[in-house]
Amino acid sequence: MSHPVSWFDRLRIESVVWSLDHRLYDLSPRSRIAKRREVRENLLTASADIGTSEALRNLGGSRRLAAEYRAAEFDGEVRANWFTAFIFFMTGQLLIQSLLTERVLAFNEGLMAANPDATGTFTSSRFSFIQDAATFTLDHGQGVWTGGRMTVWAWVVFAVATILVGRLWRAVPGWRRLTSAKVI
Amino acid sequence: MVIPPRDPQLLKGALSLLLLHLLAERESYGYQVVQRLRETGLPDILEGTVYPALSRLEREGRVTARLVSSTSGPARKYYRPTPAGYEALATGAAQWFALADVVGAVLTRPVPPAPIEGS
Repeated sequence: MSHPVSWFDRLRIESVVWSLDHRLYDLSPRSRIAKRREVRENLLTASADIGTSEALRNLGGSRRLAAEYRAAEFDGEVRANWFTAFIFFMTGQLLIQSLLTERVLAFNEGLMAANPDATGTFTSSRFSFIQDAATFTLDHGQGVWTGGRMTVWAWVVFAVATILVGRLWRAVPGWRRLTSAKVI
Repeated sequence: MVIPPRDPQLLKGALSLLLLHLLAERESYGYQVVQRLRETGLPDILEGTVYPALSRLEREGRVTARLVSSTSGPARKYYRPTPAGYEALATGAAQWFALADVVGAVLTRPVPPAPIEGS
């Protein structure tokens, strides 16, 4: 039985195709394009044959399909996950920098609340090993501040956490040779 | 007797062989292969299982693909086995029949009734 494939059906198919493409981010561009084309073409054929809802159900979901494609491409090898590392890094930086900025601004507001006409140099305390001290230079309540950045230690811990979250050490060719030698 | 749903792991090992055999019978594109598998007696097989398996076979050099323009939409990717694919099919089929003989011989032996709990 033939089912007409409407523009809405095509949109649903495109949504699945691009969701799949997004999950295949670490395949080569050529491989991704080939998979997009093939899945799209097969879904269009299946939609015309059995209807779009059934065709999408039979596909089994883009997450599962992507996992199968990745397993087929990499033989089940656990690879470095740059995307996860990137998301972790950006989200973490957003949260930490917001927190550190808020802390410095809170110190400034404290100064202004105590003396709106303050003049001189004022230094906030360090925030454990995470944040350097911030120094405010004020002249009648107006001025600038320096410092208040993440410490070197915080950067080191954050970088290590990003490497662990993304398993980035697996991107090093030497690591691969070592693990493949162990398997043999 | 009601046959419970098939364990997907049981099929996984034989899927490559099935695909190679079907493609050796007739060059086909992805969705067509799925339909042929369903007609063969695997009605619940997911397309999401078959397409990556075809991709793996292509990467391993056991099938080759070519694009054929279609009147109903974009070009279709037709697969057929390579000489290495035919060789893998022959070897795999021999191994499968040998294993099936062993498993079948064991599973067809009569078993005593299961002991009743507490006895």
